[in-house]
Amino acid sequence: MSNSFIRIDNLKKTFGGLKAVDVEHLTFEQNVLTSIIGPNGAGKTTLFDLISGFQEEDAGEIFYKNKNITRSQPYKISRLGIVRTFQLTKVFDRMTVLENLMFSGSSIKNDSLFNSIFKTSNNKKYEKSLKDKSFQIMEDLNIHQMADSYARELSGGQKKLLELGRSLIKNPEVLMLDEPLAGVNPKLAEDLLEIIQNLSKSGITILMVEHNIDAVMKISDRVVVLAEGSVIADGLPQDVRSNPKVIEAYLGTVND
Amino acid sequence: MKISGKWIFTLLLTIFSVSLVFYLNPGGPLRILGNLLTFAGIYALAAIGLNVHFGMTGLLNFGHASFMGVGAYVTLLLIPHAAGREGEISENGLPFLSALLIGIVAAALFGLLLGLPAIRLRGDYLAIVTIAAAEIFRLLVRDLESITGGVYGIINFSSALQKYRPLFFDEFITELELAPAQIWVGLLSWVSIFFTLIIIKRLNQSPWGRALRAVREDEDAVRALGKNAVWLKLQSFMLGAGIAGLAGVFLAFNYGSVQTTLFVPLLTFYVWAIMILGGVGSLTGPIFGSIIFWAIISETDKLAALIFENADGQQLAGVRFALVGLLIMILMIFRPSGLLGKKEELLLNVK
Repeated sequence: MSNSFIRIDNLKKTFGGLKAVDVEHLTFEQNVLTSIIGPNGAGKTTLFDLISGFQEEDAGEIFYKNKNITRSQPYKISRLGIVRTFQLTKVFDRMTVLENLMFSGSSIKNDSLFNSIFKTSNNKKYEKSLKDKSFQIMEDLNIHQMADSYARELSGGQKKLLELGRSLIKNPEVLMLDEPLAGVNPKLAEDLLEIIQNLSKSGITILMVEHNIDAVMKISDRVVVLAEGSVIADGLPQDVRSNPKVIEAYLGTVND
Repeated sequence: MKISGKWIFTLLLTIFSVSLVFYLNPGGPLRILGNLLTFAGIYALAAIGLNVHFGMTGLLNFGHASFMGVGAYVTLLLIPHAAGREGEISENGLPFLSALLIGIVAAALFGLLLGLPAIRLRGDYLAIVTIAAAEIFRLLVRDLESITGGVYGIINFSSALQKYRPLFFDEFITELELAPAQIWVGLLSWVSIFFTLIIIKRLNQSPWGRALRAVREDEDAVRALGKNAVWLKLQSFMLGAGIAGLAGVFLAFNYGSVQTTLFVPLLTFYVWAIMILGGVGSLTGPIFGSIIFWAIISETDKLAALIFENADGQQLAGVRFALVGLLIMILMIFRPSGLLGKKEELLLNVK
């Protein structure tokens, strides 16, 4: 229990009569790439929203490094090191790619109105280093040639990369990816998977919601299956794949 | 500054608007021009404040008149004035500059007060709340007659500002057969525009301005990245309200008296029209938008008199607003980003 990075106890969330999330106990360990799968409406995104503070739970508690983060504001949770992306990519459309990254990486102090009016040389130095860091990330993700384009001019896949980069510039400890491969072409999906795997190797704890089952099985250390808000299976990818309950609820008949 | 098509077009349109004044008033164009530029300056300043809200941060504020009103009323009540039905005189008061600063801060605090409950609302909902709050403010001021002079308003405050008018200025302006008091107010408002724009430009290019733009684009993403979107919006609300408060003070001094009817929603809509004309999110757009707007407002009656015979004042007023409406419609069709707005940062979703 002590090494559980994120711990969820008796978490409940209903919408009207619909039970969206009903998880008795679930933990995520540090530096493990965990995928959450399940049919549409299984409560995967709601679970993400609850952990990241975007929705309030009806009951239950969430701990991060033994600190209770239940009902914390999203920005406070993010400042603790849990950064999420969204199912429908949310880039800042009418800002350039570089601005998207620099905004995200900028510290609270650097963003302040006071510093912005009285720009000291320290502020300028900080902005310069932020710019360098942004270019480094753009090069890693191969979107540096788009640095000065407005984000809305990017392709769907590039937007996914930008959103990922925007999360990475914050040096997160936990990265929550909500369908990172949705609507991405096979070649880019391949690249993204490799990037995600490398991030995991570099020590970032990754939680991922994804429907591309082959991708999930390929890179995950652990797979959690949700159905109607509850965990129906949890374990190594190959074990989960052969679990009859999972096959019935989500995978359908398996040909092999 | 890059000389581009939109700049040439804007300058030509501005020159055309101003030359209309000369063409249509062969008798005394300077007097009308002075009046026009004074109004244009005051409204441009208000539009710059609104641009902080809408252009920089995406906040739909439809209660701008109340921010102008708070600035004006607080400042006027702190300087020597006379108020109410009996014209009750308050001879003691603060010097103009300190009263002005308190007025601006009061407008900003009113922005904070209004923002605290309302700023979490998005888009249209904020618009509804702000327009209602502005009306509440106006009706409160009207009913608190013992303090604010109610419907009778506040008078006899002009000397607090006019006594700083230098002598050479008076001589120069009188020589041009203009009213020195009004031109003084106009001059001060244009000086304020200059310094306000310097600050806004600096902020626009700063990390703070970048954060506001991010809030404008997607609040949820801002929050997911660890930024306090509510606080950023409140700061923007306060800054824009403070600028509006300053504009409100100049508006009051331009009229020489102030009543609650000055701060009706129509004032807010004028400021919106000016901002849209000039280009949402554009730094200098409000200036040109304001000059063109006021040129139309002040010259349409003469234009209409050329077209319609024996039209009375009421009919002319109708033509005036029809023309402003027409101009904005044409602009929205051919240049939806306004005269100087960036096409890439088009904020009004008209296609």
